[in-house]
Amino acid sequence: MDEKEKTFFDHLLEWVSGVSYGVFVDKRMSVVRKEALDQYDNLMLLLFSDFLGIPNPISYYMLELLPYMADELVPWERRIQNRKFIAAEKAAQFDFD
Amino acid sequence: MTDKQLPKYIFFGGKGGTGKTTCAGAFALKMAKHGLKTLAVSTDPAHSLADAFGIPIGPDIVPVTDNLWGIEIDAELEAKKYMKSIQDQMLNLVSAAIVEEIKRQLEIAYMSPGAEEAAIFDKFIEMMALIGNPYDIIVFDTAPTGHTLRLLTLPEILGEWIDHLIDRHMDSRKLMEMSARYDKVLKKKLEDDPIIKVLTKRKEKFDFARKVLTDGDSCEFIFVLNAEKMPILETGRAIKVLKDFSIPVGGVVVNRVIPPEAGAFFEKRRAAQTGYLDEIDKKFGYLNVVRLPMLETDIQGMDQMEMVANIMEDLNKD
Repeated sequence: MDEKEKTFFDHLLEWVSGVSYGVFVDKRMSVVRKEALDQYDNLMLLLFSDFLGIPNPISYYMLELLPYMADELVPWERRIQNRKFIAAEKAAQFDFD
Repeated sequence: MTDKQLPKYIFFGGKGGTGKTTCAGAFALKMAKHGLKTLAVSTDPAHSLADAFGIPIGPDIVPVTDNLWGIEIDAELEAKKYMKSIQDQMLNLVSAAIVEEIKRQLEIAYMSPGAEEAAIFDKFIEMMALIGNPYDIIVFDTAPTGHTLRLLTLPEILGEWIDHLIDRHMDSRKLMEMSARYDKVLKKKLEDDPIIKVLTKRKEKFDFARKVLTDGDSCEFIFVLNAEKMPILETGRAIKVLKDFSIPVGGVVVNRVIPPEAGAFFEKRRAAQTGYLDEIDKKFGYLNVVRLPMLETDIQGMDQMEMVANIMEDLNKD
């Protein structure tokens, strides 16, 4: 739709959807996304704990997953090694601001 | 013997130095003589199958005689091949810079304690899949008891581990999908999922091994022991472990039984063996028990193997 053809109603609709996305969706989704990424980190830990020095009976077989997860491996390792305060991390998930 | 349905996989195990390789080799030779296409596989890291047959056998399948082939699994080589294939695949999927960074991790995994065992197990599954095409029967000459028990119980343990991994992956996927509802890029990324494909393929391999190992009709474990105290105790324990994992035990070979004509020097030992032989009959009598006499020389090379093979024939009597 051309900018000129937009009626007042269209502008209002756009604005409302933008605001509602920001107010209701984005923040909630970021919580879900954070949880999803945490779960993914846990999965990585189960797969590649060997790299952190934790013995893992299945690590040899899980190397075949490396090609698909190689992109995420280095940041993951950095992230997991820098974890210092789990309680604060958890607290950050909830809206205290 | 030929009318009885033979198991397709036969494992020879037992305490170190009891004559596993000789028995496995002789049995394989016997099967080959009956016209069955036989493959003899050594899973012991310290191979001696080649020494027993008196011909060189390597990490690839080589013909030994008519209808008989042999292979000695080389853990280090298999692990190297595996790493190489992963690196090659990685180069197709991610940038060379990342591969370079990951190389260190690959090396760590390669050096990790379980790697060699895992490599042997991988090849072991590969060998198992060869049944029917082209081999009729596969005889495994395994490592001493402890090592082999771990190898055979691996699929049970790792299978569960993989189940758990698949569950965890599904959990994280579900959350990812939720958060991708308004995120087109992430949605696209989630559509094809190689991780689940790789995990399932791995699981299928373990399931196959578990199915074969616990199937009483197609698989049989035979213990080789000497008529002495320690091998009897160890065999008893090993049979119990295999039972717990429902791996069928088919028979017991008592090797180096001193014959009466051995002479005065062996008389005392022979008397002691008689007691142990009774104990073996009492303990393992419900299985097939075969006695191999102690021979004048050690058993080596084709001709002598054939001689043992003829005695081994009793092993498959019902």
